[in-house]
Amino acid sequence: MKRLLSLILALTFVLSFAMTASAETVEEALQAASTMTNEELYALAQQEAAAGATLNFYSTTSFAEKAAANFMEAYPALAGKVVYAEIDDGETYSKLTNQIGSGVKDSPDMALVQNGPDLKVNLLDEGLSYNYFPAALADVVPEAYQNPTVVTFINSLMIYNNKEGSVGVNNVWQLVEPEWAGKVFFKDPTNETVNLNFLIMLTSPEWTEKMAAAYEAYYGKAWESTEFESASYQWIDGFLKNVNYTFTSASKIASGIAQGSAGNMGIFVFSKLRKVDENDRPNLTVLQFENDVNCFSGFMYNVYATVCSDTDCPYTCALFINWLLSEEGFGGPKSWNSSQGYYSPNTTINKPEGLEDQAYTYWADKLVFEDLDYIDGLGENYGPIYRFINVRVSK
Amino acid sequence: MTSIQPDLRREPLRYRLKAFFSKPANLILLAFLIALTVLSLFPMITMLTNMFTVHAGTEKKMLRISVGSWTMNHFQMLFADREWSQANFWTPLLNSLIVASGSGLLGILIGGTVAWFITRSDLKCKKFISAVFVFPYMMPAWTLALFWTNMFQNSKVGGGVVGMMESLFGLCMPEWFVFGLFPMIMVIGLHYSPFAYLLIGGILKNMDATLEESATILKASRFTIIRRVTIPIVMPAILSTFLLIFSSGFASYTVPVFLGSATRTFTLSTKMRALIQAGYEGQGYIIAFVSILLGTLILGVNQYFTGKRKSFTTVTGKSGQVSLVKLRGANGVISAVLILLTLFFAIMPLVSFALESVIKQPGNYSFSNMTLDFWIGTEASAYETGMPDGILMNSTMWMGLFRQVGLALAVAMIVGTCGMLIGYACVRRRGSWLSQIVENLAFFPYLMPAMAFGTIYLAVATSASFKWMYGSFFLLGLVASVKFLPFASRSGVNSMMQIAPEIEEAATIFGVPWVARMRRILFPIQKSAIISGYLLPVINVMREVALFTLLVPYPRYLLTTMLFSFNETGYAQYGSAVTLLIILIIIAINTLVNKLTGASFDKGIGG
Repeated sequence: MKRLLSLILALTFVLSFAMTASAETVEEALQAASTMTNEELYALAQQEAAAGATLNFYSTTSFAEKAAANFMEAYPALAGKVVYAEIDDGETYSKLTNQIGSGVKDSPDMALVQNGPDLKVNLLDEGLSYNYFPAALADVVPEAYQNPTVVTFINSLMIYNNKEGSVGVNNVWQLVEPEWAGKVFFKDPTNETVNLNFLIMLTSPEWTEKMAAAYEAYYGKAWESTEFESASYQWIDGFLKNVNYTFTSASKIASGIAQGSAGNMGIFVFSKLRKVDENDRPNLTVLQFENDVNCFSGFMYNVYATVCSDTDCPYTCALFINWLLSEEGFGGPKSWNSSQGYYSPNTTINKPEGLEDQAYTYWADKLVFEDLDYIDGLGENYGPIYRFINVRVSK
Repeated sequence: MTSIQPDLRREPLRYRLKAFFSKPANLILLAFLIALTVLSLFPMITMLTNMFTVHAGTEKKMLRISVGSWTMNHFQMLFADREWSQANFWTPLLNSLIVASGSGLLGILIGGTVAWFITRSDLKCKKFISAVFVFPYMMPAWTLALFWTNMFQNSKVGGGVVGMMESLFGLCMPEWFVFGLFPMIMVIGLHYSPFAYLLIGGILKNMDATLEESATILKASRFTIIRRVTIPIVMPAILSTFLLIFSSGFASYTVPVFLGSATRTFTLSTKMRALIQAGYEGQGYIIAFVSILLGTLILGVNQYFTGKRKSFTTVTGKSGQVSLVKLRGANGVISAVLILLTLFFAIMPLVSFALESVIKQPGNYSFSNMTLDFWIGTEASAYETGMPDGILMNSTMWMGLFRQVGLALAVAMIVGTCGMLIGYACVRRRGSWLSQIVENLAFFPYLMPAMAFGTIYLAVATSASFKWMYGSFFLLGLVASVKFLPFASRSGVNSMMQIAPEIEEAATIFGVPWVARMRRILFPIQKSAIISGYLLPVINVMREVALFTLLVPYPRYLLTTMLFSFNETGYAQYGSAVTLLIILIIIAINTLVNKLTGASFDKGIGG
């Protein structure tokens, strides 16, 4: 038996070496990695580490730092070999496109990024990064989230200060009324592309129709063509006129609304409620948990994992992505699943009990979901929509 | 038989060249001519081409043409599209001009007034006021901006977060006072008022007092003397100071970010970064170019006025006695107001940052709301703010600090040495065309706003041939060295001007090699000025944000960009802690400079 085990172990290592040797490019290595077990990947990752490789990764979500720490605990031979750096959403792609292939020391090996359309146009289509998805999870992660690989969904919700009771919002058209001027907080969409994508998504035929229906429900008459192209454009115009940009980040919006004036409302990342002081937390109400809103109560966007084309540790990257998609990785101590507002694409992972949150499926008909294909397919129409938003934000 | 005639035209040239290259000063000038041409003009040319090419990201997505293709679209959008142009160029430009003019006037009003009281009156506590008044100039301008919001934000403006004034005194200032153009003018004006104080105070201190005394004898009133004698004499200095503050205010980036974001008050600098961040790099480069043009214009005007000042200095002579204006009964009140004002803007920011770094809920300064978790929290005790631990326990912070200090020291070595060599060579070859060109090239980066300067190096580092530089420590060192060279080269020229050439010539006659002459004669004589030349860039690098913000590989790479990231993303307590840390480091360095060189900001003016 012992001899058999030794033989299997030796065979595994020989096979691993053979695979490494045959995997000439990063793309091929990732292809090979997608069918390997975690044990095989761990063995190869150790070889990469022994050869001096360190997995430097950029992320727009700070929770990834804790996920990396948990990963290194789970794979102790890689301790100190995964280095995290937080990056601002706005500069993600300019940094990545310039650093990949530059040969600069400590340039990223992989990144967790938001804004799928830019990921496609700037990195994947240009061959600057590759997608990696483990075949073993093909059955538990919907196909739409496999290429590019989604590692988590994040939602931004309408949340308000309840110190003087309910704000009584049940239709999005209420937010364009003059009484909301300066009382609705939203991160500058020209600095945060997921916020921009949310507004762009409203111009899609599906949401234009829903916005027109909500208009009719609120004003009691059908939307008529005015100076705006559609009901969605009119709503965006009215909404941006009312937005207060005092707070420059979702964390600031969360704390600011909790500590600020009664009746203020924000559309911000749900998970940022964890940053609100526990004494102020009761001041906040998630609008959707109070009542349904015609026609949405926030939006949902994706965080993708992508492997840089010049990495010297593709197997470590693959193992780390496997970890992020696993129950232990996504739900480890102080990791994504321990907070509200993060949802795994792995359908076997549920939100834990006791959190003020609902499952991913609950939000399906209540939020505006980012659609990579719609935004990417806008082509020349992207410019005019962006211009429409930019000039209203800058005023 | 043919006789070989010597080529008379070539021989002298060969000898001339030999003579030229035998002088170390010429070699130094030639080396710097080549280096500075490459480091100043090449990035400018790269930036100019980037104004006409398509970049990856938004531009490619919108234009649907390949990266690197030529286009006029950036100009069309920025200048021909009325609505876009208004929002992204003309309004920010107008705001920049208002902030620059307002802060210039305020700086002169405050700095000039204090300078007059210190040099021309019998004000009480002069030494204290003079020493503390220059303090805001040592602190980075953005620390005052943060202090302003910490103090004045209140429940009636913005998001309704309570600041110190409301918390302690129930005072709620209106929105225009807390956010927008007014606080920008106040903060930049207050930051540069010590600068005005030093320049105008220097003139007042050295001014011929007999002119004022003559006016007094002729029974002119005190007001008339100030209006007809004092102000005309210091007018060139006032104009020059105004233009220098105007230039700095126009280029300011961090102050408008902290005080303008809430009210969407963009200036040209903040719009430049916003456009680049949004993927409109071509338009960002155009704005950078406009900023450089305006900077050049302002400095040109300044040189005109500085040149005019020479005519005034011919009529001055040093009076042995200066009769001080007696403030009589008003002395106590004026002294008290000035002491309070200086304490408020010099000491209160430190107190404010210390407090803000230990309170959990902003606006609640009760003891029960305080924690040291933001400083020394560990994973188990850390306050749940997204950071795994307190800043002193955080390896990212220590790495940021290590890099910033390393960068400051590297830049100081490069800038200090280059400044001294340029100073030596320019003085030894004073009047030659080579010396003039090198001196002007070394000063050229001063004309460019820091953000624009960072932008042109970004253009170089993102071009195909220089991608290896992008996000590297080398690039940060290079850009900081060129940017901070003007002060060091001017300081080098000034210090070398004080050394008579005969001293070195005597050593040359005795066959002492150039290196030994520098090491054994010139350095020891000007030791104090040279050490200052090495240490000043350390302070500059330790507080710089705008220059590095586009060039760091990620926001938490350096301590200052980390701080900026903390404040943008809502880690206010960590931001305050890092700010306090930076100020304390700068004060420590400044104290070290004073101890080593005996130099201080207000030397020669105060008391």
